[in-house]
Amino acid sequence: MMKIKYILKTTFAGLRNNKSRAALTILGIVIGITSIMLIMSLGKGAQDLILSQVQSFGAKTIVVHPGRRPESLMSSAQMMNADSLRERDLNELKKKTNAPHVVKVEPLNVGGATAVYENETYGATILGGGEYLQEIYDIRLKEGRFINLDDIQSHADVVVIGSKVKEELFGGDEAIGQKIRMKNRNYRVVGILQKKGQSFISFDETAILPYTTAQTYVFGIKYFHHIIAEVDSEDAVDAAIKDIEITLRNNHNITDPTKDDFWIVTQQTAIEQVKTITNVLTLFLIAVAAISLVVGGVGIMNIMLVSVTERTREIGLRKAVGATNGNIMAQFLTEAIFLTGLGGIIGIILGASFSLIAALVLSKVVGLDWIFTFPISATFLGLGVSAGVGFLFGLYPARQAAKKSPIDALRYE
Amino acid sequence: MNKMALIEVKNLEKIYGEEGVETPALRGISFSIEKAEFVAVMGPSGCGKSTLLHILGFLDRHSRGNYLFDGKSIGEYTDDELAAVRNKKMGFVFQMFNLLPRTAVFENVKLPLVYSGIKESLWEEIAMKAVREVGLEHRIFHETAKLSGGERQRVAIARALVNDPQVVFADEPTGNLDSKSGGQIMELIEGLHERGRTVILVTHETYTAEYAERIIRLKDGLIESDLRVSARHHKGDRFIK
Repeated sequence: MMKIKYILKTTFAGLRNNKSRAALTILGIVIGITSIMLIMSLGKGAQDLILSQVQSFGAKTIVVHPGRRPESLMSSAQMMNADSLRERDLNELKKKTNAPHVVKVEPLNVGGATAVYENETYGATILGGGEYLQEIYDIRLKEGRFINLDDIQSHADVVVIGSKVKEELFGGDEAIGQKIRMKNRNYRVVGILQKKGQSFISFDETAILPYTTAQTYVFGIKYFHHIIAEVDSEDAVDAAIKDIEITLRNNHNITDPTKDDFWIVTQQTAIEQVKTITNVLTLFLIAVAAISLVVGGVGIMNIMLVSVTERTREIGLRKAVGATNGNIMAQFLTEAIFLTGLGGIIGIILGASFSLIAALVLSKVVGLDWIFTFPISATFLGLGVSAGVGFLFGLYPARQAAKKSPIDALRYE
Repeated sequence: MNKMALIEVKNLEKIYGEEGVETPALRGISFSIEKAEFVAVMGPSGCGKSTLLHILGFLDRHSRGNYLFDGKSIGEYTDDELAAVRNKKMGFVFQMFNLLPRTAVFENVKLPLVYSGIKESLWEEIAMKAVREVGLEHRIFHETAKLSGGERQRVAIARALVNDPQVVFADEPTGNLDSKSGGQIMELIEGLHERGRTVILVTHETYTAEYAERIIRLKDGLIESDLRVSARHHKGDRFIK
């Protein structure tokens, strides 16, 4: 039985004698592990950022989409044109007898239009909504007022504009009471939103109209892109979903749930969706980075084979004084694992440092709500993977070393 | 003949076969060596004496014939058992010293202990004893590359001694040394024999061989003669190369 301590000591001495070679050898592993650490940290950071925006919807919010539930990400864009959600649905959902847990219901239409004020133009995101939109999306006003019930009932030509829209069209001038032109119709600015920064919907770039006005004059449609419902408590979300489904199926004369012409998203399903997407992306990037680990591993194998050849006499001598094949194998395997493990540790440290720098840049320079995260699982993964690479790619050279007959090794010039 | 043979070979053959051309190195030799014997194997280069030593020392395998070590046929040993015998019962001294590069004297002497199963806490003491036997206690932390040839060979002898082997194999131990260092090395090797160890010495120098009790002469892979030495050299005699 050979002592682990001795093997490690020998390994360490061997590496010390070949410092620059060892450094170059592990470079591939360092790069690979650094990339994986960076991707894992940034992936987690991005996921947290998106999730925090999804969570800003509130756990009590349910969004009803028109059309069939999209099978893939791509087809969801086309679903915007489905026309199955209408005013009648809205009114039915507002009835306490149909959906007792639903406290607020609000439709939402989304589109784009060019807003004009005097000589200035701006391509704004048009939201057609109602009074509850402000609460549901936690929208803060800087000046003026939000859309109210009167506006909706009277199809009023009023608009609430985001901070970016205000800045682009009016600059430093007073905007409240001024009229902006969209799709050949004038709208009076009644409110200006506070700057909100990057979020799920970029409210800074929106012009919010009463949904009745938006349907009639901007979009020219009689249906809704979404219906948003708020439930009285988080526990009631599932019950509310059932109520909404039954109400809408009744309204649409649907008996077979697989033929639903609407689909429902809650914060929970949105979170799951975001997690699925970001996890798949992160995994994909890790797979790409893992290629460099394979390249690094081949580098390790190459240098280990060189080392085995160089040390043929040493191997022969060790065998002559009683080393078994297993002893020799253990020595070279340990060396390979030690090399890659060292590369792994350096990679973890570099990966964490780069992630921290990236997080600082993203939060301070870009202005995102980015929080530095370094999953502890990444550390273990990094160490495990790098040691595993060492084992895998060290196996062949170690076997070559162990296979040498003592006399061939001793005779080697 | 009450003494039990430590080493017994019968019709031992070794054929090197490279690229289809068979080159016989040993062509059927038989002899036995008793415990505590001091035997020199002599002959011109290419006679097969080093090959014989390597086979006897479990460093190489013979092609045909039979080899019994300690009463057991070599074919009955597994690879790990061969390694264990090399470690515990055999010591090797080579012409080229074969020390670990860039390593201190002490580490070289300890090397067989690493594979011995002896507790690491005892290594220092055991290695120190071996170093003292060859008179290098003042050099233990020197790198071997900085030592003279004679000193290096003494390190090799200390390494051969450290596991207290039954038999020491010496392959041209004085071949790379001047006569003064050579003499010292031969005195050490004779000392090993005096303390009851079997010594098998390969040399092409008659004077060196005459330290042994018995000389086996090889020629073209066969034994030419196997004689007892009438006038042995001893410690204190002037060593002549």
